[in-house]
Amino acid sequence: MPKVKTNRVKYPEGWELIEPTLRELQGKMREAENDSHDGKRKCETLWPIFKIAHQKSRYIFDLYHQRKEISNDLYEFCLDQGYADRNLIAKWKKPGYERLCCLGCMQPRDHNFATTCVCRVPKQLREEKVIECVHCGCRGCASGD
Amino acid sequence: MAHRLLRDHEADGWERSDFPIICESCLGDSPYIRMTRAEYDKECKICTRPFTVFRWRPGRDARYKKTEICQTCSKLKNVCQVCLLDLEYGLPVQVRDTALSIDSNDAIPKSDVNREYFAEEHDRRARAGIDYESSYGKVRANDTIMKLQRTTPYYKRNRAHICSFYIRGECTRGAECPYRHEMPVTGELSQQNIKDRYYGVNDPVALKLLGKAGEMTTLEAPEDESIKTLYVGGLDARVTEQDLRDHFYAHGEIESIKMVLQRACAFVTYTTREGAEKAAEELSNKLVIKGLRLKLMWGRPQTSKPEFDGSDQARQQTSVAHSGLLPRAVISQQQNQDQTQGMIYYNSPPPPQQERSYYPSMDPQRMGARIPSQDGPPGGPSGSGENKPGLEKQQMQHYPHSMMPPPPGQYHHQYYPPYGYMPPAPPYHQYPPYNAAGPPSQPPAANHPYQHSMQPGSGPATSAPAETGTSTSGSQQQ
Repeated sequence: MPKVKTNRVKYPEGWELIEPTLRELQGKMREAENDSHDGKRKCETLWPIFKIAHQKSRYIFDLYHQRKEISNDLYEFCLDQGYADRNLIAKWKKPGYERLCCLGCMQPRDHNFATTCVCRVPKQLREEKVIECVHCGCRGCASGD
Repeated sequence: MAHRLLRDHEADGWERSDFPIICESCLGDSPYIRMTRAEYDKECKICTRPFTVFRWRPGRDARYKKTEICQTCSKLKNVCQVCLLDLEYGLPVQVRDTALSIDSNDAIPKSDVNREYFAEEHDRRARAGIDYESSYGKVRANDTIMKLQRTTPYYKRNRAHICSFYIRGECTRGAECPYRHEMPVTGELSQQNIKDRYYGVNDPVALKLLGKAGEMTTLEAPEDESIKTLYVGGLDARVTEQDLRDHFYAHGEIESIKMVLQRACAFVTYTTREGAEKAAEELSNKLVIKGLRLKLMWGRPQTSKPEFDGSDQARQQTSVAHSGLLPRAVISQQQNQDQTQGMIYYNSPPPPQQERSYYPSMDPQRMGARIPSQDGPPGGPSGSGENKPGLEKQQMQHYPHSMMPPPPGQYHHQYYPPYGYMPPAPPYHQYPPYNAAGPPSQPPAANHPYQHSMQPGSGPATSAPAETGTSTSGSQQQ
């Protein structure tokens, strides 16, 4: 038989330091995926997924861009392996979107009247102060608050 | 009818339109509206044909509303597509039809295929421009309907629905719950059915309204023959004396018109009793000036001392104006202001009077009131609205103790406990450290029969707001 090429994962240096946290986050994600839907609204069942995805990406983003504790190599490795969302991080680098909750909330195409989700509105400009955006359960991701 | 696969819009009789047919109330109070239009989005609730659904938010505190019935159905009955009330009068179909003696019901089939066919036919004819006889344009308003109609838009119906989880006590959403956290008002009016309302059959709201209309008799003349004055209530800045004159001159010679803007009322005095009676008869439920429905009643002779009756005397009525208690409440009005007595205003006691003597009706014990717990959150604006009638008995009273509970932030009249002399501490005042001059600083009982019924569990009298604004005892909860 022809040789089957496998892509074995080669972890770059520094991986051991971040691995525990990443595994833990992955575990959380697994749990969220397997959670029952009882007692939750239909849209609410998806919120933990978005939340944990945000958390994972945030962790890696922080490590690399804010705290600068990992190498570029490791960073790219994480992004490639899917431990963080590249596109979301790309938004976080832009001014005004530093705390973006998820990619869907800022996409006008997904909303009526080509607006963004209400979670993107700063609290002082909103009328209702306490909200949970229906899409990802975000309570406010404007950079100001 | 079955399958709704869209083959051909026209042939299948699906409805398309460009703007909804809606009434003012449903449109909302905001001048800025964004509306979505979805073609063939839902079935008409009456004829079950797919039609264009418009969805918008009628104002800031409103829920989203959408058109419920198609335009064909709405034109057939001349009603709003959302609320199914008449476009001109704001009345349910049944009321309007009985009042105007229209009967369009026979022609409209109500079942299945027949109904759809009818709707389509109608639609087709309308589009072709054939003038189907709409009886709505031609009927002229008659008295009854003028009495019954709604004059101002009613935005309360646009509020969010009541949270059904809250009713069971299970709402976990808490502050972000978009539904209202109130208990529902149940009763026969709650069982309404859209088809019944549309066809004008067996509609509880309509029946109630018609019942009321039957009883809206003209004012009967008071026994005291010398009264020639009519009280006109519900005024506001738009209504001028000239307007009143114009409306009233037809019935008799007007001797005088006195407007009291502070109390949103006016008194029209005729030279003859007959004139007054005639005016009362003609105008009694039909007085609408500049779009403002005014209330007409007989005046009363001025009494030198206003009487008390403990619960809803209001000397200052600006806010409580027409609670239906009016004839008694307006007791201190006088009929002929510009007679020799000179201007005596009933919103301040006659000057020489100092201390109001202690009326039995002021005695909280006597009135059967429990000395209340003044709760920190006095039930919100509704609480204070209700409280005012009870409280503002004697605005200009001098009280022996200068202390009065500072209003808990919500009463915008200064509120003096009307009990000049409270009997010494009833046993259930428990806040000894409270430096109040004892019971007198307790809020008046009259205030609280209302609140009591709301909070029967309220325990010991909590410290009155003299202490702090947020003087909720632990047990007080909202």
